[in-house]
Amino acid sequence: MTSSAWLKWLLLAAGLALLAFMPFLIGEYPLNMVITMIIYSLFALSYNVLFGQAGLLSFGHAAYFGVGAYTSILLFKKLGLSLLPGILGAGLAGAVLGVILGLFVVRLGGTYFALLTLAFNALIYAGAEKWRGLTGGEDGVAAMRPDLHIPFLGNVEMFTTVHWYYFVLIVVLLCTWFCWHFTRTPLGRLNECLRENEDRARFIGYNVYMSKVAVNVISAFFAALAGGMAGAFQEFVTVTFINLDKATDVLIMTFVGGSGTFWGPILGACFLTYLNQVLSDLTEHWTLIQGILFVLLVMYAPQGLSGLLISLKDRFWSARAGKLSPAAKGEG
Amino acid sequence: MDTLAALPVQALHGLVYGMLLFLVASGLTLIFGMMGVLNFAHGALYMLGAYFSWSILQWTGQFWLSLLVAPLLVALGGVLIERFCLRKVHSYGHAHELLLTFGMAYIIEELVKIFWGNEPLRVLLPSLLAGSIPLLGIEYPVYRLFILAVSIIVFIIMFFVLYKTRAGIIVRASVANKQMVDALGFNVPLVFLVLFGMGAWLAGLAGVIGGPYLITNPAMASTIIIDLFVVVVVGGLGSIQGALIASLLIGQLQSIGILILPQFAIFFEFLLMALVLIFRPHGLMGESK
Repeated sequence: MTSSAWLKWLLLAAGLALLAFMPFLIGEYPLNMVITMIIYSLFALSYNVLFGQAGLLSFGHAAYFGVGAYTSILLFKKLGLSLLPGILGAGLAGAVLGVILGLFVVRLGGTYFALLTLAFNALIYAGAEKWRGLTGGEDGVAAMRPDLHIPFLGNVEMFTTVHWYYFVLIVVLLCTWFCWHFTRTPLGRLNECLRENEDRARFIGYNVYMSKVAVNVISAFFAALAGGMAGAFQEFVTVTFINLDKATDVLIMTFVGGSGTFWGPILGACFLTYLNQVLSDLTEHWTLIQGILFVLLVMYAPQGLSGLLISLKDRFWSARAGKLSPAAKGEG
Repeated sequence: MDTLAALPVQALHGLVYGMLLFLVASGLTLIFGMMGVLNFAHGALYMLGAYFSWSILQWTGQFWLSLLVAPLLVALGGVLIERFCLRKVHSYGHAHELLLTFGMAYIIEELVKIFWGNEPLRVLLPSLLAGSIPLLGIEYPVYRLFILAVSIIVFIIMFFVLYKTRAGIIVRASVANKQMVDALGFNVPLVFLVLFGMGAWLAGLAGVIGGPYLITNPAMASTIIIDLFVVVVVGGLGSIQGALIASLLIGQLQSIGILILPQFAIFFEFLLMALVLIFRPHGLMGESK
């Protein structure tokens, strides 16, 4: 194993250990922020399946997130489901929506994808606003977070922040593992091939259209799962879960973190959630600062923060390698 | 008044909004057709037109002056965005150009909130335009007829320029085949810069005349951008005729829809978009590329 691979495993292990002991290290208020970070990390990861891996720029990912949030809350409230079925139901609802919208939005590709996702997000938003009997319109719906029912072991109450933290952490880690694994499956590889050269994929004989729909469904499933957890976390859902701001938030998080790496979106979600919490106390112009940061990155660092970190690391490594032997450069 | 009797008036409302929408959409679709850049900031430029006009009115009290100056300021803003930001990211591809214009729209919206506040602003109209006249059996606001008149005049000038002048031929040729126009020795980046500025001017003008009608508020941009995108999809890439037909259709769908099924009026344009996507994926007047 090379030293950089060792470093990767070491960082991963340290990160997991930190996450496992987090509730013992910080108080309840910051722990709530960490939960938000974890949920948005999943949202951004799901977004990057489309944006970073498939090269599809979506302005409508809030549709899945919001539908997931509404679904989980309504399943808790109307059907009295326990936590896990409610969250899974949210993911499934997102996946179904992903099929329906996917059939429309991937038809024309490229810029049209951006345009259509935005329009369909507006459609779903209008639906949530008008269907007052189900969604409560602008007033929203509320439902208590139910217990987690584990077969043969009994119920775990989820009211305690620490319990809820571990639940969210485990679900998101599993999803993260799946998303990571997905990039190495044939469909995941094809996904990146579609980004690089769609014509060639078509020429080899792949069904480009259906592959894109499939990828859209996977992305929608995880976005809705994140939405389901966000809804359960706040115990309340309203149209702000599904509006254009929510859709652009996840785009900004993913881009700022860097869409070119797997962990970039997670970095972006954590970084911006943290800044949002800290800076919105200090200045009311936080969103303007976020916008300026975004534009500067678009213009000067299109690989986002993770791209900047990697080039910093490369510079550091090559400087050290250069001291030892100039020929060692380029290895590792 | 029963539904049938209200129909002509609603149709007129729809025509007013449709023409206004077309003023904004025409620039968007030409820019999209020529450079493949979907200008997300187009709605924000339209909003800036409304706010600049409000401020000029506050300072000078001259509506006609604001009608002249505000769109020019917006055009200048558009040119600056194209020259100093958009051109820098051109080599990264269309997704980056879209991201940049999106970022610009985001910043403009925040700046508008900082400078002009979150509340809707009232625009005081000159007395000539403030009243109403009897039309189609009701008292119809003069201002809406004024919007209609301005947009029709601009529409005629635009068609004349696009179809009868050398500059218009170059623009249309660039939309159809940019490489060939470049190969013939024309300065394509300059053509695009001018087109971008003209598009911004049209959006700004629509903002100035639309502000008093659709209420000058910070959500103006995100409200119109959805209609604009639907126009581009329904009309077809880079097609000015398509943009006209789609804008007028959406205007009618909204105003007649409110009359027939008020709860569902908002869904009609999406239904239209979905139908177009199923049966004519490249738009009513678009060609498949």
